[in-house]
Amino acid sequence: MSDLFVALTPANLLACFVGTVLGTIVGVLPGLGPAGAMALVLPLTIKLGPTAGLIMLAGIYYGAMYGGSTTSILVNVPGEAASVVTTIDGYRLARKGRAGAALAVAAIASFVAGTFSVVALQVAAPLVARAALAFGPAEYFALGLLGLVLLANLTGRSRAKSLAMVLLGVMLATIGMDPLGGAVRFTFDLAGAQAGLSFVAVTTGLFGVAEVLASMTEPEAASAVARVKFRELYPSREELRRSVPPMLRGTVLGFLVGLMPGPAATIASFVSYGVEKKVSKHRAELGSGAIEGVAGPEAANNAAAGGGMIPLLSLGLPFTPSTAVLLSGMLLMSVTPGPFLLRDHPRVFWGVIGSFYVGNVMLLLLNLPLVGLFARIATIPPRYLMPAVLVLCAVAAYSDNNNIFDVWVMVAAGIAGWAMRALDFSPAPLVLGLVLGPMLERSLLQALTIARGDIGGLWASWPAAGMLVAAALASVAPAVSALVRRMSRRAV
Amino acid sequence: MGRDHWSAAGLALLAIGYLLAGRRYPLDTLATPGPGLVPLVAGVALLAVAIWLFITANRAGLADAATTGGLIEPAPRRAAGRPLVLAAALVIYAAVLPALGFVVSSFALVVVASRLIGAAGWWRPALLALGITGVSYLLFARWLGVPLP
Repeated sequence: MSDLFVALTPANLLACFVGTVLGTIVGVLPGLGPAGAMALVLPLTIKLGPTAGLIMLAGIYYGAMYGGSTTSILVNVPGEAASVVTTIDGYRLARKGRAGAALAVAAIASFVAGTFSVVALQVAAPLVARAALAFGPAEYFALGLLGLVLLANLTGRSRAKSLAMVLLGVMLATIGMDPLGGAVRFTFDLAGAQAGLSFVAVTTGLFGVAEVLASMTEPEAASAVARVKFRELYPSREELRRSVPPMLRGTVLGFLVGLMPGPAATIASFVSYGVEKKVSKHRAELGSGAIEGVAGPEAANNAAAGGGMIPLLSLGLPFTPSTAVLLSGMLLMSVTPGPFLLRDHPRVFWGVIGSFYVGNVMLLLLNLPLVGLFARIATIPPRYLMPAVLVLCAVAAYSDNNNIFDVWVMVAAGIAGWAMRALDFSPAPLVLGLVLGPMLERSLLQALTIARGDIGGLWASWPAAGMLVAAALASVAPAVSALVRRMSRRAV
Repeated sequence: MGRDHWSAAGLALLAIGYLLAGRRYPLDTLATPGPGLVPLVAGVALLAVAIWLFITANRAGLADAATTGGLIEPAPRRAAGRPLVLAAALVIYAAVLPALGFVVSSFALVVVASRLIGAAGWWRPALLALGITGVSYLLFARWLGVPLP
């Protein structure tokens, strides 16, 4: 526990500061999301060493949740997906002249939820890690499978498309050395392919290059930003009083949704808005500029970012693209997340958790006075910003393994990612399939070997059987509910 | 055939190609599974999902139209030609990077990209390219010691 204070060393404080500022900027800028930005700075963070490097990456991850609300409220352009719902009431509040109050409530809600989720993370992560020590290959296989099925259910509009992307990710993960026997597969004798596809190259391509290509066909965002003076940043007592219940509801909901695979922060913000529409005393005002529509979703998306750290830190399983980049960063720094992280690298584990507390305070102090500056960053024309993103992507992809093959992978992933967006396929399930693929393969083959070829060995233990049943139920549930809906419609 | 039908057909072709390429890896037995097992399972699963997507493509299109009820107007989109040109520029960039090096190739890429994204004239793109390439070279290669091509 005393390792929590590792976050307070000058180097780690600086890493946290740089990470949270970068995160806020990424959150403000439409297009580049936290996962892409984290992949871009990976080469830089590796130089910092594991603790400072991961503190900086984590700072970008939750800083983006703070920044995303700024442009939602001031310009009606969400900086990232988790802030889409904030535009509904946030922008209307700004048009009513309450932009300052909305921004302050968003920052306070983010702070409250962020801090709560760190406390919950600090308590829950070691407990989950201890329970996971009893997990063998069969349990890990079942957990990974359950995660991917839930992910396909929750991502995008079409389950078939999400599932196809998950499988494509698993297939891409089979390129290179196989995880057990060492056989080289699907490399077609290409130099640099033996080590497999670089995760950084694929991520920078899918989330960086593809964004640049996609931004060229999208209409340019409005560039006028309302100026907000520091003294206008005080919500009225009435606004503060009305913000507290949605903030607390959003925090708890967001944290729980954050534990699930998929775009948890985005789903959490929508769920919170939906709940406010049902239970809020002022639900009739929602949609026309109610402070509840800012406080709830903004708390929810920040709490979800904290919740998403639990499966990563205690099980070594990332369920969102951003935590997948964090996992990749950890592996590059020779830190293996999972049940043994706390035992083997307590300073990294507690240092990162400690930095969440510090980062949340920094973000609150930064965001309130500098909100006008951050909002103006959103108006930098894409013709200046996007070329820089391309160069950064190339640097990140090349420096992962110092080979040109990875730059080719980045370019191919970028063009494929652009086509996927145009055809309504989400790239997130592909990235998670790519990350979880080797783990799934290794645990499946190990479980089969341990059970001497008996396929029943996959569900011989209670936890494994429970998770496989849950995965099977999650696979058929949408089809069953659609069938029931159709039958009840016919009955009417 | 709609867009989703073509996507499903493309995915099915990909799955078949992957399965054919994966035939050379042995499956061995379930007790000592070989490197061909997971590629076989993943390839067959993708083929099945592609068929599912193909069958449900029509229904999904109709459901989308029904849920939005025409309320959500698609945003006006700009021409798709320029991203194609930038994609080609990126392919050329990767091809010339080993020969020309990071600084020269990236300078040219930034000039082309900023022109395609909407910068006017040549002076501004050239200055921008000089700034971006120079700063990233100094930051990564000089200061952080990251090797660049």
